[in-house]
Amino acid sequence: MTHLTLKNISKQFGDFAAVKDFDLDVKKGEFVSFLGPSGCGKTTTLRMIAGFEIPSHGKITINGNDITEKAPSQRNVGMVFQSYALFPNMTVAQNIGFGLRIRKEPEEKVQKRVSEMLEIIHLQEKGNSYPYQLSGGQQQRVALARALAIRPEVLLLDEPLSALDAKIRISLRAEIRAIQRELGITAIYVTHDQEEALSISDRIVVMNMGKMEQVGTPFEIYNFPTTRFVANFVGSLNTTDVEVSDVGQGLLNMNGILLRTAEGTMNKKKGDKVKIAIRPERFNFASEQKKDNVLDCTVENITFLGAVVRIQVKIGDTKFNMDTFNNPFLELPKIGDKDQVTCSKEAVLVLSD
Amino acid sequence: MSLLSRLRRVPFWSAVWFILGALYFILPLLATFEFSLSMERDVVGFKAYEVAFADKEFLQTFGYSIFLASMTIIMSIILIVPTAYWIRLRLPEARRLVEFITLLPFVIPAIILVFGLIRVYSAPLNVPFTDLTIIQPLTNYKFGTNILIIGGYMVLGLPYMYRSVDTGMRTVDVRTLTEAAQSLGASWYTIVVRVILPNVRTALLSGALLTFAIVVGEVVLASFLGVKAFGPYLFLLGQHRAYEPAALSFTSFLLTWAAMGIIQLVTGGQGQVAGGH
Ligand SMILES: Nc1ncnc2c1ncn2[C@@H]1O[C@H](COP(=O)(O)OP(=O)(O)OP(=O)(O)O)[C@@H](O)[C@H]1O
Ligand SMILES: [Mg+2]
Repeated sequence: MTHLTLKNISKQFGDFAAVKDFDLDVKKGEFVSFLGPSGCGKTTTLRMIAGFEIPSHGKITINGNDITEKAPSQRNVGMVFQSYALFPNMTVAQNIGFGLRIRKEPEEKVQKRVSEMLEIIHLQEKGNSYPYQLSGGQQQRVALARALAIRPEVLLLDEPLSALDAKIRISLRAEIRAIQRELGITAIYVTHDQEEALSISDRIVVMNMGKMEQVGTPFEIYNFPTTRFVANFVGSLNTTDVEVSDVGQGLLNMNGILLRTAEGTMNKKKGDKVKIAIRPERFNFASEQKKDNVLDCTVENITFLGAVVRIQVKIGDTKFNMDTFNNPFLELPKIGDKDQVTCSKEAVLVLSD
Repeated sequence: MSLLSRLRRVPFWSAVWFILGALYFILPLLATFEFSLSMERDVVGFKAYEVAFADKEFLQTFGYSIFLASMTIIMSIILIVPTAYWIRLRLPEARRLVEFITLLPFVIPAIILVFGLIRVYSAPLNVPFTDLTIIQPLTNYKFGTNILIIGGYMVLGLPYMYRSVDTGMRTVDVRTLTEAAQSLGASWYTIVVRVILPNVRTALLSGALLTFAIVVGEVVLASFLGVKAFGPYLFLLGQHRAYEPAALSFTSFLLTWAAMGIIQLVTGGQGQVAGGH
């Protein structure tokens, strides 16, 4: 049951193509994130859904109705901005009730809805405060309530948490997700923070230079990136160039060292140059159980990252990062140690570009 | 925290410069005030004020100048608020040009402005290449002259009015507020009346105050266009009399300060800046 569709959307600013061939079906109640680096067209795409920009090509529909050129005020789409954009001259309650009063709802209904929303965002006692009397996190919750009060078809959020500090960011994103689930509202969430996208979304659209790179669940995006860009942008993947050396056995030649992959060589021929990616946490130091790939290495560097320890090793003449969970009994190698690392053949991903 | 301990935190040199600056402004004012009290020999009193206020011409010219100032403010608001709003919203690339235009009154002396106005508008406006007159020379009748002088005052007030409105719009980020209101379903009318105007009210008031001060004291445009405004009146009075002009100058200062106080009272209770930047 698709709810929101973007059909072949593109947007030109003069000669510059900010968004190219964007194609997406979003189901009712789905939470979709647009993830990508600065300037890749996330906001522009979101603004086309909101109606603040008109696509140069393509069509946008909600419930099958074409809204491509409808005025923003006629779309019934809720929007949450990075800068909160609360009306400074109105109290919290007046902000939340603004959209309903514009719809000329009877006053008692407005009041009821406002207190309902205040309860959902846990700010019951702040109804009469002005925005400047609230913290950033509280202001953003009010902005969320204001957008949701009108029962929009779609909720759009443009980096709503990036002005907040790390702790609040994490608790508020969980809150946003919980509220979205509870109300069953379709949501599009723009972020350049991969951890945020992975933790909050049903699906992620990874964007790069105005194009969709990959669309998938957080699980798919993280574990099976299909392009080099996604592999590099999501997580901190190791990537390197190899040559296909045996298609049948899935053997790859990395400067004289053989690596075994699971299915990556299927459409390739011997001698093809390809790019591979291996997640840092898929490496282990060699133990009794033998994996598909056992590789000699030298320890180059060790970094504590809190829960994780990142060890840089050199295999042949290629450097890889490997991550192990930190624990007090961990026996760490020393810089310069010669050792062996292992990884399964499924961990060696062959990228499509 | 007591006032004293707060004062102690003010750095020494800041305090010195502040006091010097304050003296620079206040001393002449005090001198004027003192002078205005000494009209009668050996008596300190308000005689100069009595005489000045009793003059029929004072009331007429002052009333007329207040009328001119009010009209200038109203027309400026009608012209400038939508312009500044539209530039913030849709034409950010035009901002430099408009800012340049608003600065022109600082570069072009008022005397040139008034001769320009007279030159252009003292001739009838005809349909091109015919003798058909559309508009009689504006300088020939009272209503026309009023239009001319209010137009001229709008130009003189432009730098203050435009800049304060534009700054006000920047501090509340009218663009995002507009989009927020649009996505909530608001019409243009609602957005302007319920979101934009209330949030630039302080800026409007301070722009209006400055315009008021300029218009009430203005001499050049008023004399050359031959209107009986307060500025020329005060100027003439200053040439024949000593104490009354001092009294009137001091009074207009007080009026200005009272207006500022009112603005503070009206707007002081409310935060003006949206958080989170
Ligand atoms: N009104 C506009 N006129 C011209 N170019 C624009 C306009 N709006 C956006 N762009 C350009 O389009 C590109 C995409 O912009 P967009 O704001 O969508 O990026 P983004 O992915 O949201 O980036 P960020 O993470 O920095 O917010 C940028 O290169 C930007 O300069
Ligand atoms: Mg953006």
